[in-house]
Amino acid sequence: MEIPYVVTPRKDTGLFNSKIAIWLFLASEVMLFGGFFSAYVFLRIGADYPWPERTLPVLPGLINTFVLIGSSVTVVFAWAALKMGQWRKFQIFMGITVFCAVIFMILKGVEYSVKLHHQALRLKDYTVVEGHLGYEMDGDKLALDHNGKKIEENMIFVETTALSYSVVRFYKPWVEEILAQAGHQKSKIVLSEDIVAVTREGEPAELIAKAGESLSPELLSRIQKLHLSARSHNSAYRTDALRKEWTLAKAANPGVSDWKFASEVNIDMDALSPKLLTELSTVSFKVEPAARFDFKPRDIQEADGTSRLRDDTVVTGKLLASPMVFHHVDAIDFQHLAMKAEEKGIDPEVAIQNSWLIKNSPFARKAWEWHTGEVAKLKKELLDDYGLDKNGEPKRVPTHKELYRIGWKELGVMAEEGGQPKLSFSDGLKEEFLGPNYKARGDDTFPSLSVPREQIGFAAKFTPAWNTYYAIYFTMTGLHGLHVIGGALVLAYYLFFGRKMFLSNPEWLANRVEVGGLFWHFVDLVWIFVFPILYLM
Amino acid sequence: MADTPEAIQKAVRTYMFVGGILFIGTIITVLVATVPAFDVGRHGFDAWDCVLGLAIATVKASLVAFIFMHLNHERKMVYWLFASGLVMVCSLGGLTALAMLDPIVDTFFYSGR
Repeated sequence: MEIPYVVTPRKDTGLFNSKIAIWLFLASEVMLFGGFFSAYVFLRIGADYPWPERTLPVLPGLINTFVLIGSSVTVVFAWAALKMGQWRKFQIFMGITVFCAVIFMILKGVEYSVKLHHQALRLKDYTVVEGHLGYEMDGDKLALDHNGKKIEENMIFVETTALSYSVVRFYKPWVEEILAQAGHQKSKIVLSEDIVAVTREGEPAELIAKAGESLSPELLSRIQKLHLSARSHNSAYRTDALRKEWTLAKAANPGVSDWKFASEVNIDMDALSPKLLTELSTVSFKVEPAARFDFKPRDIQEADGTSRLRDDTVVTGKLLASPMVFHHVDAIDFQHLAMKAEEKGIDPEVAIQNSWLIKNSPFARKAWEWHTGEVAKLKKELLDDYGLDKNGEPKRVPTHKELYRIGWKELGVMAEEGGQPKLSFSDGLKEEFLGPNYKARGDDTFPSLSVPREQIGFAAKFTPAWNTYYAIYFTMTGLHGLHVIGGALVLAYYLFFGRKMFLSNPEWLANRVEVGGLFWHFVDLVWIFVFPILYLM
Repeated sequence: MADTPEAIQKAVRTYMFVGGILFIGTIITVLVATVPAFDVGRHGFDAWDCVLGLAIATVKASLVAFIFMHLNHERKMVYWLFASGLVMVCSLGGLTALAMLDPIVDTFFYSGR
């Protein structure tokens, strides 16, 4: 069957099929991205924290803009080459376009990777510290978790004396992890008392496991099986009893609404209990001797005495000092603290001087002192350059960010002024893409910092979890990135598989490339707004 | 639409010219945002930087739409389709902006910092 209007336009619309389809699609895309831009505006004006202004690395974003604009030009060149019947030229220009898409995605990938590995921490007093955490060591090797991954120095330590497992929710890898940790410390985890249960209706209780039996996933699974069968056995009896009670109650109250006597419909548990089996929803173990177990912060709700894991395991024991250890601090940010202080009518400078970080970190004190000097210099420069306004106020003053944030670039400058060698051109360039270069700049520029657990307000990597800015950043750039991948795949298809159609029906191929190109231009068009909004504003 | 070889040759020159303008527009946007000497309005990011940045972006986007996407000589149907999308975005975005008229607000909510 021949498909109409793939080359010649329809008379009524003046367009060939795929063109009308792509414009319909682009109109829906305008609405999709429009929705996200609108969300961005509202997140920004409604943010209850200092919006991260001009926070992303500009150079990779700028290169990506050039790459996309360049590819937009080459894709129309490719189309023009097809229109003139020049296959070789088409191949070259389309090849460059697809190559540009690959470069774009590589740079985006690097940018994402840097964000996903960079740690942010908001202290209880709203000071923000950024950097990289160290890793837990096992002797002189890196310690690994049950997934074989390095463990960050951000663990919660509990001197554990007892553990209570929920038999339906326990997570087997965590049980194995705890067993390994106990083995490491020559500690045993054993049942604290005999488990006795009725497992068959009407029969006496029997011994399921003896006190002193060691913890193992198999033991928990065995008890889980008994628990689940007892639970379903018991619930069948209870449901049946309740049904009977309802039948009797309804017969005794003819014509009365159910809800009026619902409170009187109860099961006689005493009569039922001889038929029921023992439900064993939790199993308790003791740890002998008490051992220090470490947990990831996201897995535990810690408290001195009784902590709870996400799988409902209750950990009893003393909460030990569990600091979060930054191997390298690369930014100190008082913007949020200053904002909170201003809201309360407190002088931000006073609030900063009273912050935990300034009181406890000599490096932070030194950095803040240096930064205050830099701000004074900037104020003077602005005053000298722009003067005063009609009211006698300086026309230009430092921004909130310049006043209260010491970013990694500033820390670098401070170290260089203090005698640290300047970075080589290549190391400096690397920093523009990969962020602070700890190796080249060393521990004096980006020192370590240990933050006690009780000072931690909120911690996250620079992921959507950190704040709404990163949430919308990842949403918009992620969606845009998917469009780049999709568009590049379609264009690559024309490049690698278009030859046959070029020989049989070149006009049709030209129309296809035009439509693919329209989509590609749209991807560029979206980036034209995404770049200034997310990177420069 | 350029269909004859001569017309296409001419169009290619236009594309190169437009590409150049897009590059220059991008450089201006970055300079305004990063170099104090090019900063408009107050020091640092403010409403003027926002207006200028978005104005340049709009010009760039229009060039892409009109020249690269051939909206400067398209059929009526395409205008209707694209305009309907834009109108929807503007009107729905505008409707959500009505939230600003809510008299019950957190004092610090719109304070910016």
